[in-house]
Amino acid sequence: MAHDYEDCPYPVRTGLKDAHRNYWQVLAEPGTWFTGAERVAIAAEVRNALVCPFCAERKLALSPNAVAGEHHCGTTLDPLLVDAVHRVITDQSRITRSYVEDNAANGFTQEQYVELLGIAVTVLSIDEFNRALGLPPEPLPMPCTGEPSHYRPSQAASGTGFVAMIPPGGATGSESDLWAKGRTANVLRALTLVPNAMREWRAVGEEQYISFQDMARFSDIPGRSINRMQIELVAGRVSSHNECFY
Amino acid sequence: MLSLSADITESDIDLQLINGDESASAGDIEHGHLLMRFADAFVKRDEAALAIAREQLHQAAGVAVLVDAAGVAANFQRMVRIADATGIPLDESSAALSYSVGQALDLERFESAKNTPHGGLKRRVLSWIARPLAKRMFKKIQREHA
Repeated sequence: MAHDYEDCPYPVRTGLKDAHRNYWQVLAEPGTWFTGAERVAIAAEVRNALVCPFCAERKLALSPNAVAGEHHCGTTLDPLLVDAVHRVITDQSRITRSYVEDNAANGFTQEQYVELLGIAVTVLSIDEFNRALGLPPEPLPMPCTGEPSHYRPSQAASGTGFVAMIPPGGATGSESDLWAKGRTANVLRALTLVPNAMREWRAVGEEQYISFQDMARFSDIPGRSINRMQIELVAGRVSSHNECFY
Repeated sequence: MLSLSADITESDIDLQLINGDESASAGDIEHGHLLMRFADAFVKRDEAALAIAREQLHQAAGVAVLVDAAGVAANFQRMVRIADATGIPLDESSAALSYSVGQALDLERFESAKNTPHGGLKRRVLSWIARPLAKRMFKKIQREHA
């Protein structure tokens, strides 16, 4: 079974195992704009990006557009999608509005970009958990057959970042589970153009970090062996190195 | 969030620990330096240093602490990418709450700061009001949880 962590010298708590296992299952299924095979291919590109010589060269360039080359790619994904995964993983701070808009003009839609981003970052965070414990990444799941739903929330609107998202008061109807009564933040809204992308990373995040309900707890967190200050110290050091202003 | 946690729990910590400053005091954070070294080696992808930091944390704090720290570190590889790749600004309430910390750690130097407009005097004034209010509110919540 995926993510059973049987060979791990450090026992992993059940909540983490279940969250990672559940994500592997939804990763393999048809999504909102991609098939299961495309979603798993996006996951494979996350791993290719980490060893991509072109990404390493581009990261050092003054501008990401200053160097030309080809990505280390192991899938049949469209090159625009491959480039997006590699940028998200290796050079995300230099992604711009015009990059997203140019992609859309070339047929790689905002909706696809958001789903791709959700997959890339969630797979990365699960792989990185393994790396933190000295474990190899889990084999990727076999894709399931079926067609994407093409669901777009009608309340999504442009104006906050590079992509449309559900406004703070828009978590209603089918999206009423996203947050309670306008109590949200831009980072929670960021992927809501594809609501399942947000739901999927949130389920993993609630186990790796803390749940939304516990966000206002600043001492001990139920079910965790480190207190809030210890949690935020680790979070802060990782974010600082990643130059996360947010 | 670290600064706010310290404020609310009336704990002591030198925030420069977040910048990887080994000489900074971990204050009231148990295993603070070990956690910092673990996160530092992890995010720098220095696998040899990570193996040492992992074992030191394991030996000193136990396996549950190590696993939870690994989860948090992994989680924050995701969050920065969501924020940067969608170009979202920091919410105004968070910007006001974190104003003084941002100044102390010079967070404006980061590329991703470009997505958040400068708040100027208005944000500074808001921060003077918002932080004590937030501290009082969260302390009340802490007491309720206790």
